[in-house]
Formats: sequence, C-alpha cells, structure tokens
Amino acid sequence: MNAVGAGLGVALLLALAAAVAAPLAPRTARPAVAGAGTALCGAAAVLAGVAALAGQRLTVELPGVLPLTGLTITVDALGGLFLAVVGAVAVATGIYAIGYGGPDGRGVQAALPLFVASMLLVPVAGNVGGFLLCWELMALTSLLLVAAEHRRRDEVASAARWYAVMTHVGFVAILIGLVVLAGHAVDDSFPALRSAGAQLEPATAGLVFVLTLVGFASKAGIVPLHAWLPRAHPEAPSHVSALMSAAMVTLGVYGIVRVGFDLLGGGTPWWWVLVLLLGAVSAVYGILQAAIATDLKALLACSTTENMGIVLVGVGAAGMFAGAGNLLLAGLALTAALLHVGNHSAFKTLLFLAAGSVLHATGTRDLDALGGLRAGMPVTTAAFGLGALSASALPLGAAFVSEWLLLQALVHGLAVGGVATAIVMPLAVATVALTAGLAVAAFVKAFGVGFLARPRSAAAARAHESPPTMLAGMAVAGVACAALALAPALVLPAVGRVGGALFGAADPLAAGLLVVRLQGFTGSLSPLLVAGAVLVGTAAVALGARLLAARSRDRTAVRLWDCGAGPLSARMEYTATSFAQPLQRVFDDVVRPEQDVDVTHHRESQYLVDAVRYRLRVPDRLEHGLYRPVLTAVAAWGRLGARLATGSIHLYLGYGFVAVCGLMVLLVAIR
Amino acid sequence: MVLDLWRRIRRVGTSAEPPPPRPVADRPDRAVELGGSVQLRHVDAGSCNGCEIEIGSAFGPVYDAERYGARLVASPRHADALLVTGAVTRNMREPLRRTYQAVPEPKLVVAVGDCARNCGVFAGAYGVAGAVGDVVPVDLEVPGCPPRPEAIVEALRTLTGR
Repeated sequence: MNAVGAGLGVALLLALAAAVAAPLAPRTARPAVAGAGTALCGAAAVLAGVAALAGQRLTVELPGVLPLTGLTITVDALGGLFLAVVGAVAVATGIYAIGYGGPDGRGVQAALPLFVASMLLVPVAGNVGGFLLCWELMALTSLLLVAAEHRRRDEVASAARWYAVMTHVGFVAILIGLVVLAGHAVDDSFPALRSAGAQLEPATAGLVFVLTLVGFASKAGIVPLHAWLPRAHPEAPSHVSALMSAAMVTLGVYGIVRVGFDLLGGGTPWWWVLVLLLGAVSAVYGILQAAIATDLKALLACSTTENMGIVLVGVGAAGMFAGAGNLLLAGLALTAALLHVGNHSAFKTLLFLAAGSVLHATGTRDLDALGGLRAGMPVTTAAFGLGALSASALPLGAAFVSEWLLLQALVHGLAVGGVATAIVMPLAVATVALTAGLAVAAFVKAFGVGFLARPRSAAAARAHESPPTMLAGMAVAGVACAALALAPALVLPAVGRVGGALFGAADPLAAGLLVVRLQGFTGSLSPLLVAGAVLVGTAAVALGARLLAARSRDRTAVRLWDCGAGPLSARMEYTATSFAQPLQRVFDDVVRPEQDVDVTHHRESQYLVDAVRYRLRVPDRLEHGLYRPVLTAVAAWGRLGARLATGSIHLYLGYGFVAVCGLMVLLVAIR
Repeated sequence: MVLDLWRRIRRVGTSAEPPPPRPVADRPDRAVELGGSVQLRHVDAGSCNGCEIEIGSAFGPVYDAERYGARLVASPRHADALLVTGAVTRNMREPLRRTYQAVPEPKLVVAVGDCARNCGVFAGAYGVAGAVGDVVPVDLEVPGCPPRPEAIVEALRTLTGR
C-alpha cells in the first residue's frame, strides 16, 4: 500500500470514527469531536491527493461493499487534485466547526464527517455503481446538514426542499446518462466505460453527455439549474456552506471533466460550445445577482455560480481546442480552469467562514444592517478583506492568476481557426472581463458596506470577535489564499500535469517560483513581482502623503463637513441596496427589479404626506420564467392524483387488486 | 460651416457691453492673497430670497460676474469666501458658524443685503439671532433691500480686483 492508499484509508477511517464518536460524546463536546475528526480526515486526504498528483496510483476492488457492482477505488491525477481540494477545505472548516457551535444534535454532528468522507469518495470512485452511491451519499448528508437549523427558522425547510428536489433531479439525469453508457460496456468499471465510450455512436454519446451535463451542472450551480444555491447556502450553518460551496460544487466540474474528456474521450465540438456558453451565461448572471444581493451569504452563493461559470468557460474552451487538434492550448485552458477550481475553493472557504463569524457575532446576514465591524472584529474583517481581494480577480488575489491564464488561453485560441472559435472566443473574453469588473463591484460592496463605516444596527455595534478555533479555521484558508496568490508555482506544475495528461499533451506552462511562463506562446506573469510592485507603490504613495503632510505648517483639525446640520448618522451611509442601485439600473432589462412607492397622505389634507413606503424586490428572473410553469404543472398533476386518493381503504385495496390482476393479464399476454 | 460659427462668435463677442469701470473701494488684504480668483459659497441664513434672485441675476448673462473671476461653488470646502444673505435665524446660527469653520484659510465673508448687515425689517423678531456680523466676522457689506446686481458685482470685483 502506497501513500495514496494510506492517506485515503486513514481519512475514511477517521471520518467514520468521528461519525461514530460524535453522537456518543456529551452534548458540549460533540462539535469538537466532529470538527476535529473532519479536520484530521481532511489533512489525511490532502496527503493522499498530493501523493496522487505526484504520480502515485491506486486501484482497490471492494466487491463486497455494494451488491451487484461492488465498489472500485481508482485514484489518478485528476481524482487526486479534487481529493486534495476537498481535503483542504475540510481541514479549514473542521477546525472552524469546533468553535462554531450551531445545532448540536447527534445526527447533524455525525453527518459532518460523513459528508466529507462521501465527498472524498466521489473523485476516487472507479465504477458507475460506486460513483452513484457516493454521489447520493454526498447529496443526502449535505441535505441533512442544510436542514440542520429547521427548528429555528422556517426558511430552512423551504431551502432544504429546493435543494433536495434539485439535487435529485440532477442525480436522476446522471444515473440515466451513466447507465446508458454502461449498457454499451462489458461491465460498469471506468476502464470498460472508456473503451466503450470511444466506440459509441455520436448521437448516443451526445445523449449521455447532455444527461450527465444536466446532473453535474445542477450540482455546480450552473444557470438555469442554480436556483437551489442562493437558497441552501445562506440557510445552512456557515461551515457547511463553506464545504458545499467550496468543495461539493466543484465536484460537478469534476464530473463534467471525467465523463466528457476521460470516459467519452472528448466527443464532438458542439458539446464544448454548449459547456462554454452555459459557463459564460452563469458567470455573468451569477455575478450580477451577487452585485445586487443584500444578504451576505446569498451574495457569496451567487458568486459561486459565477466562479463555476468561469471554470466551465475554461473547460469548454479546452474541449473546443482539443477538438480542433491543438492539445497544448487545450491543456492550458483546462489548467486555468482547474487552478480556478482550487483558487475558488480557497477564497470561498475563507469568505463563508468569515461570513459565518459575522453571523455568529451579530445574528444577521443582512448587509443593510451590518457595517462598522472593523472595530469589534478586526481578524474577521481582515479575513473577509483578503477573501474579497482574492475573489475579485485583482493582482495580489488568487483569482487573478487563474483568470489571467484563462484569458491567455482564450486570446491565443483565436489562432486555432474555425467559425465556432472565431465567434465564441471573443465573446468568452468579453464575458470573463465583464465578470471580473462586476465581481470587483460586488465584493467592494460586501466588504465596504458590511465591515467598514459605522454600524447600522445595534447588533452590529455590539459585535465581538469569534472564538480562537473559528479564527484558526479562517487562518488556514487565508494562508491558502495568500499562497495561491503569491506563489501559484507551488501547485501549477501539478495542475498543469493533470491538464496535460488528460489530452496526452506536454505541460502547457513552465512555472518557476518567480515567473509563470506559457509554453509555446508568448506570455508570462510574475505574481510575486506584481505583488511586490503593488505593495511598494502603495507604501511609496502613503509615505509621500505623510511626508507632504508633515511639511505643511498651520494644520488645524476641523470636523467632518456634514452640511453644518449636525452629526452624520449611520442612516446617511451608503447601504448595500443604494450601492448596487446604479448597477441595477444599467442592467434593468436583465434583472427586472420590482419596486413600488406607496405614499400615504395625511388625513386632513392630501398635500401633506404622512408616510412614504418604498419596496424593492429583485426576483430571480430566470427562476420566475422557468420554474414557475413547471411547479404549476406539477401542482396541477398532484391535485389530479389526489382525486384518486379519497381516503377510503376499500378503494385502495381495490386499486391493489386491479393492479395485480392487470399485471397477471399482461404477463399471460406477453409470455 | 465651422468658420461661419467662429465668425458669429467673434461678432457677438465684440458686440457685448464694455465692463463698468473698476470699483474704487480698497481690496481687503486677504482678498489680495487670493490672486484675482474668488470661489464663493452662498449661505442663506434666513433670507426672504429677494437677495438670492439678485445674486442669480449677478451671475446671469447680463451682469456675468464670472468674467471678473468670481464663481459660485457647491461646498465651503471648495470656497474662498462666503456670500451670506438674510438675518441669521436661530436655526441657522450654528450651521453658519460651522460653514465658516469649514472654509479653508484665507477666507472672507460678504454680507449681502440689509438683513445680513443689520437684520433690516426683521430686527428684533423672535426667531432672529442677529446680523451676520454677530455670528461670523464680516469683511465686506453690500447694502440694499434687495441690493441691485450692479452692487453685488461691484462688491465681488472689489474682492477679485478685476
């Protein structure tokens, strides 16, 4: 047994042990047991993933685990990458969960390590049966965790229902797709599927791909299957939100890459144009929703849709380049996408943990009621600031490196030729650029309105720093963000090998510690030098301003100009709603906000205004248009069915009798 | 077409009224420091808005105070001088004082109209705190109820020295 097997085995055993020990522990110790077990399990998984990325392989057959198909564990480089990502997220969230408290029921505490264990098994499952089992286990444990606080708030139950339905619709699509594929293979192991996938007719292969794409896209929160994300993420406990948004959602990308590139062997170009377009629409729509959101965690959830969209743009571009025969460029695009998966996991973990810390301290997620947290929660503020910087694709942030790589791949992709590339690539570049700009607006809003200025509510004014274990969890994620931003060379060679290996091409880039250089194209970036230049420039400006100020004489301190009227109050500050208002106006046709103004006149005279009420709601327009008709139809169907169920036991027995008789007749007729 | 426009601008420009002769009053010392360009913040301390109409007229196309280097701005932080109208009411006493504090040095105050100079017909009224000079130091006064735009322009030209 090599390091991969040892790490994975230890991780799974630790998770199981924590799942057993947590319910048995006394109530106050439960979060500590579950959290510590999760963190250790994650650490072991990171070791296993790193070993797999370094080139170690593992194949274990466990025929007794699952009837009929058994469970095969196969760890390759791609699986190892996702193993490491999920493990790393689990380390940070596990440490954080120790101090977070939250619901301490037995089932919920046992579900946390089980959720992590099932997420670790998904990227290493090597046969259809095992993969589907782990996928479903992941959905069920996460559903338990989403519903954890259903006794405290009514919205939780609704969010959990949405999540349950969406994830299971996705599961059914994946199930059908993979079973159709397995039907053409000798057995259901991935190597057999690989050889069957290569010989599949284009129509069947397309059907399999589209079905699995629907399932995986619903897990990745891709538009129009994103409806569960802004519901379930805010309502789940914050460390669970972090696990779901940073780890589980990325497994949707894993599924698309595994089935599309590995099992089906790349397929036809229209698949990847579809993936790219879905990604582009998700990226813009997601960040637009994030930019106008006022709920801190819903904002982060919408940003997850955006980031998965960017990843799918990279994946789709890689598929198009591979179809056109340019394997080097395909490797580069996929490397950018996979690096962005890692970066997104790092900063989204950090952001969700910081948002959880805010929720823990103030009891609210509403940005319009926050503000001024810098004084009471300096560490959380710094953590959220680092996460926001990383998420907004600016230099010094992690996403800058991966989005730069992605833009390089898209721009160089124009040279590939072909009508589809000529149309799609400029659009994709514009999409990524627009998304990056909107992301800056969204995160400036989240950070500026949420943490700076003055507190807008009593709860925000009383905010206090979270316990040390929560801060430690944020610190782990923060260190990962900083490392990925400043020294992407630590992970880029390994990620590049994954991208290259899938297409059988050479490494798409040479990553020195200082400079990342593209292979075969002109283009290089030095994150460390850029960071140094920005820091030195900022320090020089600050120092210069201070020196100039020190030289000028006759300085008097005067009060802040408040129009002479009296002290400025928190009510005069920009709120999240007012900050987003210009953007909302610009994109009026896309987001279609509903607003109305009610003016109540004074009883004595209609010239005197008694009260003005302004209401603004920004409903999800896609959801409105797509889901409402389906829900109405299902409800109508349900009412129709309810007529059969009158409550009479005789009638029900009669149904059973008629059904059995019908079956007998049918059997007689066809035999 | 463009040349035609230029010709018209040239013709209209030369057909404007010549400016009246320079005022003879002494420039305050601090106004000399400003070097001929004076940015003004107008404060209505309790005026009946008669003076405001005349100020608007002074900055209109007929009297065009801006050609002498005076300009109205939107914040005391941008201003060199305050243009205060009206008797200072109790509600405006503190805001006027704060506005004066917000103007960077060197700063000047012009009291426009009889009310600003000595409370005019409102002297002794229950809501009146006093004339502008009772609240902030006044450098220049423009008499009249309301003062004519020529008088306002003359006072502003005394500040700018043009």
